[in-house]
Amino acid sequence: MLRVRRLSLRYPNGKLALADFDLTVRAGELVIVLGGNGSGKTTLLRCIARTLRPTQGEVRVNETDLAELEGEKLRCARLELAMISQQSSLVRRRSVLANIATGSLGHHVSWFTALGGLPREELAAAQRYLEAVGLPEIGRQRASTLSGGQAQRVAIARALAQRPRVLLADEPVASLDPEAAEEIMRLLRRLAEKENLAVLCVLHQVELAYSYADRVVGIRDGRLAFDLPSAELPRETVRNLYLQDAA
Amino acid sequence: MTAGTETGVRIPPASGWAGSLATAARLSLILLVIAVIVQSFWMAQARPQDLVTGLFGMADFIRRASPPDFSHLEDTLWPTIETVDLAIFGTVVGVVLAVPLAVLAAANVTPSRVLYFLARGIIGFCRAVHELVWALLFVTAVGLGPFAGGLALAVHSIGMLGRLFAETIEHMDMAPIDALALAGATRVQIFTHGIVPSVLPTFLGIGLYRLDENIRSSLVLGFVGAGGIGFQLMTYMNLFDYRKVSLYLIVTFVLVLLAERLSALLRQKLA
Repeated sequence: MLRVRRLSLRYPNGKLALADFDLTVRAGELVIVLGGNGSGKTTLLRCIARTLRPTQGEVRVNETDLAELEGEKLRCARLELAMISQQSSLVRRRSVLANIATGSLGHHVSWFTALGGLPREELAAAQRYLEAVGLPEIGRQRASTLSGGQAQRVAIARALAQRPRVLLADEPVASLDPEAAEEIMRLLRRLAEKENLAVLCVLHQVELAYSYADRVVGIRDGRLAFDLPSAELPRETVRNLYLQDAA
Repeated sequence: MTAGTETGVRIPPASGWAGSLATAARLSLILLVIAVIVQSFWMAQARPQDLVTGLFGMADFIRRASPPDFSHLEDTLWPTIETVDLAIFGTVVGVVLAVPLAVLAAANVTPSRVLYFLARGIIGFCRAVHELVWALLFVTAVGLGPFAGGLALAVHSIGMLGRLFAETIEHMDMAPIDALALAGATRVQIFTHGIVPSVLPTFLGIGLYRLDENIRSSLVLGFVGAGGIGFQLMTYMNLFDYRKVSLYLIVTFVLVLLAERLSALLRQKLA
C-alpha cells in the first residue's frame, strides 16, 4: 500500500510545485492522476519515487517512510517501488530477457552482477514476466527491434522483475497509438488485480481514466483537486480541472 | 536602393562618421588577417624557389633509392611486427586507463565534481603534450627501445580516447540509466548493465580508429629511438642506404593502407 501525507515540494526559486498532497493507493487498486500541463503530476510521481526530495510530508510504502531516507537505505527501500515512464527506457543493444532481468539487480548486489552477469534464475523469471505481459516469444530479440507498444510492455515486465508492491506509471501511453494504449491500460489493470500491486498512473487521456481506474485523482497547481471513484466522477468536474488550468 | 526594403523593415542608414568608423574597422581587420598570414610565411622561411631547386635533390634521392632493395624484405618483418605491437600496446593500455577516466570525466555520470575536474585535467594534460614529446621523455626514463614508444602512445591515447569516451557517455540516452537507478541498482551495476552495453560499440569503433592512428604514429616514434620501422628508416637514412630506405617506405605505405582498411572494415561491422 502507498500512502502519501501532506507531501509538499518548494523549489529553491520559491515556486510551490506540490502542496500538502494526500493520497492512498491500496494493494490491487489502479489510481489514475489527471491534471493539465505543469499541474504537478510528474513532480508528484518523482517525489514518491524519491528522484526529488520533498520539502515536507510522508511517502509510506507499507510502513517505511521514503521521504526521509538517503543513500543505501533509500536504495533498499526503493526496491518496493517500480516506475515506468513515457519512453520505455530499455538498453537498446541488449536482449529483451536481459533487459527484464536487470529489473532485479537491486536484489542481487554481488561481484557477479557488478561484472555484468545476470543470475540464471532471474533470466528464467524474466521469461515468465514476459509471458505475463503477453509477449512470450520475443525474449531473444534485441530491444532495439521492438515497436513502441512492445517496448512499453517489456518495460512493465522489467518493473515486475523488481518484485515491487507499488507501480508508478508516468504517462505510459503518451507515445502509443490508441489500440496499443488500450492494451497497456488493460495490462496495468490486470497486474493490479493479479499481482496485488498498488498502481498509480499519470495520464492525459480522460476516457482511459474512466475505463480503467478504480479511482481518479485530480491535481491542479500542485494541490489535490478531487479524489473520487471513477464511476462517481462527474464529467463536469474533469472538464473544470482542465478549463481552470487553461485559464 | 534602400537598405532592408526586402523584409519591409527600414534600417536607418549609418550616419556619416559611424559608417566611416565601421569601414575603417573592417579594413583594419582584413589588414590584420593578411599580416598574420604573411608573418607565418616569413617565420616558416617559405621560399617557393627552393622547391624547384629541391626537385633535383629529390630526383637524385629517387635515383639512388631505385630499385628498392627487396632482397632484404624478410628483414622488414620484425620491425613491422614491432611497429604494430607498439600500436596495439599503446591502444590497449590507453583504452584500459581511458575508460575509468572517461566515466569520471562525463558530467552526467561522474560521482563528484572534484573527480570530474581531476579526470578532465589528466585527460587534457595527456592530450596536450604530443606523443613525440612523450616518447622523448620516456626514452630518457626507460631508455631507447619499443617500451618508451609504447608508453608514449599509451599516454597520448589516454588523452585522446578519454575525451572521446567521455563525450560519448555525455551524449548517451540517460533513460535506461535512470530506470536502473530507480530499480535499486548500485552504481557499479548501473555502469556494467546500463552504460557499458549502450556505449560499447561506439567505444570499440573509437578504439579501432585510435589503433589505426597509433600505427601511423608508431612509425614516427622510431625516429626518436622508440623502435619499429621508424628506427630502421632513420638508421638507413644516416647510412645513406637509400635502397633500403625505399624498401621500408614501401612497407610503411602497405602497412598504413592495410591498417586503415582493416580498421574501417571492423568499424563498419560494429555500426
